[in-house]
Amino acid sequence: MHQRLSVENLCASRVPINARELLDGYAEPPRKATTINYSLPIGHTSVKINRPNTRQNETVPIVKSSQTDVRPAEVAERDSHLDNQVENDRPWIVLVWNDPINLMSYVTMVLQKLFGYSLEKATELMLDVHHKGRAVVSSGTREHAEFDVYQLHEHGLWATMQREDSR
Amino acid sequence: MARHNKGPVTRLDNATYSLNIESSERAVLNTLFDQLRDVLMNDSNSDIARRLFPAAYHQDEQHEAEYQRLMHHELLSSRLTSLSMTADILGHDTDSDRIVISSDQLDVLMRSVNSLRLVLGTLLDVHEDEADVTLDEDDPAYGQLQLYSYLGWLLDWMVTAQTTMN
Repeated sequence: MHQRLSVENLCASRVPINARELLDGYAEPPRKATTINYSLPIGHTSVKINRPNTRQNETVPIVKSSQTDVRPAEVAERDSHLDNQVENDRPWIVLVWNDPINLMSYVTMVLQKLFGYSLEKATELMLDVHHKGRAVVSSGTREHAEFDVYQLHEHGLWATMQREDSR
Repeated sequence: MARHNKGPVTRLDNATYSLNIESSERAVLNTLFDQLRDVLMNDSNSDIARRLFPAAYHQDEQHEAEYQRLMHHELLSSRLTSLSMTADILGHDTDSDRIVISSDQLDVLMRSVNSLRLVLGTLLDVHEDEADVTLDEDDPAYGQLQLYSYLGWLLDWMVTAQTTMN
């Protein structure tokens, strides 16, 4: 049974690692490892996101007037359909947040790999994360955004998603 | 030794890389990855867990609960699979100080090294840009900070090897 990873047991003799000695035999690093320093979006806020309209399936009685038939059911259905269309047309955005650990070079590489961005575009987004604290790296349907967030998490980046208009 | 003139990872061609890390050093790394696996299996409510399994819907608790219900186990499985593949890669050909790995294997190694670095950086409560930090030998966490720096150095070489054309 392995001990839990902790500052203490990493120091213990069972892990006889000395980074300085490990580094001595190698060439110099290609460049200084650089980290990103901003606070992370830990926890939840009280901001609520509009739920999808569900009136579409409700039944509405037909109201008949003396002059013409008015079919509020159709109107309601059309309205709710349009509402849903609007909901669906409002894209979700995926944000990457700054953190003090991930290397800038690694973040840039991950953005290139996952989204096919050029080096220039990925670097621009990474610098936005670095300087502004976050950057929108993709947008689309909710399912698409969830997939992107999952992949970013898989690569260790701090990513979240939200409605575009809730920024 | 050959490694004096090259980094720990070098690109051989478009599909293969040379991992120039001594077998004894690879064994030490595997020991650390074993510990990381233990953390993943047993630690579900700590700063480390929150860093390795961050919220997706940070503005919506209901969506977040649903997302975690569906995706947490998948992400955990993915990390454990990567660690298992990493152990195989690093444990391969223990008589050699140089092993040839594929692009996919390099990708797995990078994710595992980065995960380990995330855990260590969280434990050390890293805030400052490490380029500006001078390690203090009297610091109780001196060894860990060295290790953190080493992992950053190793990861940076991996990224450079993958992104640099021949």
